[in-house]
Amino acid sequence: MPKGGVSGYSAVHARVRAMYSTMLTAEVWAALCEAPSFASLINILKDTVYGPYLLEVEEKALTPRRAVYQIKQHLANAYNTVIRLVPEHAQPLLTQLYRLFEVDNLKAVLRGIVTGASWDQVRYVLFPLGAITVLPAQAMVEAESVGAAVELLRGTPYYDTLAHAMERFTAEQSLFPLEVALDLDYRRELWKDINQLSGRDREQALHIVGSLIDMDNLMWAIRYRVYHHLSEEEIINYTVPFGYQVRDEDIRAIAAGADIAQVLARVYPDLTDVRSLLEEPRRGLPLLEVRLQKHIVERCREAFIGYPFHVGIPLAYVVLNELEIQDLTVLIEAKSLRIPVEEFRPHLLMGCGY
Amino acid sequence: MFYPQEMTEIELIVPERDVLPVTRLLAGEGVFHQMDASYLSSETELGGADYWRGQSATYAALERRILAIMQALDVDEGQPLPAAETTMIEIETVRPSVERLEQESRDLSEELARAQKQLEQLQRYIRQLEPIADVEVRISAFRNLRYIFAMLGIMPVDNMERLQTSLARIPFVLLTLRKDSQQAVVLLLGTQHDSDILERAARSAYLNPLNLPEAYQGTPAQIIAAIREDMERIQQHITERKGVITELHDARRRQLQTLLWRVRASRMLTDAIARFGRLRYTYVIAGWVPTARLDSLVQRLNQVSGEILIETSRPKRRNGGQDVPVALHNPGILGAFQQLVTNYGWPRYEEVDPTFLITLTFPLLFGTMFGDVGHGLVLALLGGLLASRQVRALRGLANMGLLILICGLVSTVFGFLYGSVFGLEDILPALWLRPLESIMQILMVTVGLGIVLLSLGFLTNIINAWMVRDWGRLLFDHNGIAGLLLYWSLIGLVARAFVGPLPLNPSVLVVLVALASLAVMLAEPLTRLIEGHRPLTEGGMGTYIVQALFELFETLISLLSNSLSYVRVGAFAVAHGGLSAVIFILAELVSPTKGVGYWLVVALGNLFIVGFEGLIVGIQTLRLEYYEFFSKFFTGGGRRYTPLSLVPTAGE
Repeated sequence: MPKGGVSGYSAVHARVRAMYSTMLTAEVWAALCEAPSFASLINILKDTVYGPYLLEVEEKALTPRRAVYQIKQHLANAYNTVIRLVPEHAQPLLTQLYRLFEVDNLKAVLRGIVTGASWDQVRYVLFPLGAITVLPAQAMVEAESVGAAVELLRGTPYYDTLAHAMERFTAEQSLFPLEVALDLDYRRELWKDINQLSGRDREQALHIVGSLIDMDNLMWAIRYRVYHHLSEEEIINYTVPFGYQVRDEDIRAIAAGADIAQVLARVYPDLTDVRSLLEEPRRGLPLLEVRLQKHIVERCREAFIGYPFHVGIPLAYVVLNELEIQDLTVLIEAKSLRIPVEEFRPHLLMGCGY
Repeated sequence: MFYPQEMTEIELIVPERDVLPVTRLLAGEGVFHQMDASYLSSETELGGADYWRGQSATYAALERRILAIMQALDVDEGQPLPAAETTMIEIETVRPSVERLEQESRDLSEELARAQKQLEQLQRYIRQLEPIADVEVRISAFRNLRYIFAMLGIMPVDNMERLQTSLARIPFVLLTLRKDSQQAVVLLLGTQHDSDILERAARSAYLNPLNLPEAYQGTPAQIIAAIREDMERIQQHITERKGVITELHDARRRQLQTLLWRVRASRMLTDAIARFGRLRYTYVIAGWVPTARLDSLVQRLNQVSGEILIETSRPKRRNGGQDVPVALHNPGILGAFQQLVTNYGWPRYEEVDPTFLITLTFPLLFGTMFGDVGHGLVLALLGGLLASRQVRALRGLANMGLLILICGLVSTVFGFLYGSVFGLEDILPALWLRPLESIMQILMVTVGLGIVLLSLGFLTNIINAWMVRDWGRLLFDHNGIAGLLLYWSLIGLVARAFVGPLPLNPSVLVVLVALASLAVMLAEPLTRLIEGHRPLTEGGMGTYIVQALFELFETLISLLSNSLSYVRVGAFAVAHGGLSAVIFILAELVSPTKGVGYWLVVALGNLFIVGFEGLIVGIQTLRLEYYEFFSKFFTGGGRRYTPLSLVPTAGE
């Protein structure tokens, strides 16, 4: 595997540029938003890069959930391609970024066990990771308890974290401690992988992945305070002390009860009208998250400008692709539930909103 | 050999009572590629897709249970049963057997797992207690302190810093008693006044306090001793239970293996039936069979079911065959090269299978670049060893072995042509030329070889377009007749400039270049014209012409770059000679008297050439095949032929 620089990144750069050009255009987004039904939305998508994945399934079996599952296969393929093509030193970071979907799958499986869901109910909620996953998902869902499911994870990177957190699960009978432990552990590994890089690669990784960590960390702190009413020490322990623009002082300030709008204004001076979003948190926080994600979209697009031979390009592409699929998921759900455009438009990042 | 195997679509209407024997036959024959016909079933039909999917899920669950028992008893899966013994086993017959076996093994394995967990828990207690083993205070003294809050416990190392940050506003002490890369044994101390904050912080930092069972009383040292005694007792118990498991393993091995393969076959049969269409009294089965195997399959189906209705249809390749599964039939040597094609993509049904082309061209290009009698024979021997499957660990590379063997033999032939053996150029006479001495000649010859191969690519594309009657692609595509004409006219002009007058008038060549360029430029409107589509262009003629000019420019550049790519073939032939010469120079520097050092450098250098240069030449050959040659004609995206089988394939 080549080292960094032009020789290391030329192949992945060319491939990512080609894949980047297949992202949905403004015209397609407009058509998708205006689609009168779920079926017509799917018909439009069949003519896009997602078409082959949707065509794999009989029309009758293509439920909204299944459609989202099929579409996600495109992202899985994109990840597999870039991980294969990037230089060896950048592979751990991209692989770890991809592992977020495995962490999400693990959480979905645990929720499935707690709610008594069957494997058929859970399988299409999971991200299609293919052979790379270490989770015995079906066996876990069919296990009798969360404890038995965790035991099936022996030998995987998740076992130690979950086994330690199981004591709290047993005492509290809530998945919250397990999920938080997984989230924190995942971000710490991601941060380690960023710091393994050097020079331009590290700068780009901080720019993109660091911004993702910032967003998650901020939203956690805000939600723990606003929704869960956790104490200062709990909020601090349930967040991470690192990131790109968000400093630990910011998180600690939110935990200690400081004005959230002021903290956000310091970190994101361009973000306006935050106070009104915080007045009605149930409605406002999801919209705040969308605004922060738009900020990440900008960061990703910046990676495509200027010197191109660095890890920023593949990172930016997979993140943009993930956000595109997030938008498509919103659209698919909205169309299947016949929600009017004006109601779902504010929740879209890339489509209709522009 | 030149095309994927001819396939026939087969549709069977099977009476309900015959559905099982027919399915078993279809799966047992291993030639039937099933299509999903379950959409034909009515939603409420008894015995429809949902019923069989349910059956399949039940078999799958039973299979997993059997595998769990086998894992508990350390029994391997064994070999699949012979086809004659692979009948569908009734769920109600198999379930009691599985339950009985499960009961036998479950008690034992659960007992073992419990004991193992107990051991781990005791081990954790010891780890927490050991750092304070020399403290002569009863452990209960840590509990219920009046003024001091004390919590002894274990926590993730990564959370320690965060815990300290979270407690910054109150007085506290966090003592690390022991630490490894993952976890730390800590003692958290503070005032009882802050106990709420300390407890919340400790809990949210995942500090699990030491909660010893009531039975363990005394000082840490006394408790550790008691725990160690318990651990020994548990370990002894585990050893005894494992002995019982070994006995059970021997007694139940055969039964479990048979059960597994019968349930597995039943699962695969029900899976297949779930994709049948269910009518009122019959099932509809649809799929594909290689035409060559159709008659024998039909004959056997008629033997199994007297009332079966069989309809077949053979799609013409010219109609395109997106849905037709592609079965490549390349026996012997061709099979080794087929994997190079399928690594790139599965050809479509109507497309030429380029395996025979790659079988001819790959060794030729490889041999031209790596011509050396000695190195070629070493490669051939290595390939022969892999292909012979003699080395157990390398059996997976047997197909690759055949490929290496052939490339090695062709390298040997070129070695005679170049007069080179292990880089020595003064032993054999060169039957053709020595690349290092005739650099221009070898470069020109290899570019010529490239032109021939690219023309072959053009012709293959023309054949592919003809097969599906895609007239636009055939006539005007930059890889079609217009492209080939443009390519050859340009070659004619270049040859005239460098070689001298040709029998053809240059003005004819110029006219041909102009006509072919125009055809390539106007490919889209011309295609729409002959196909009767209107308007001829979309987005206005002006835009189209600008776009077409750029595309023509790109076509010309790619024709040039594709041809010049083959210069590397000659360049590598030269480099091979040069690299070999360098090894002899290095060897002389190490030992001018040609002692042991000299031969050691020569041997290591030759190994390096065979390994490293051989690999690079292989990659370059593959690159030429994939990017220069295949891109001229290969569409790919064909659906792979995967016949129904009673034995799971590697991917399952």
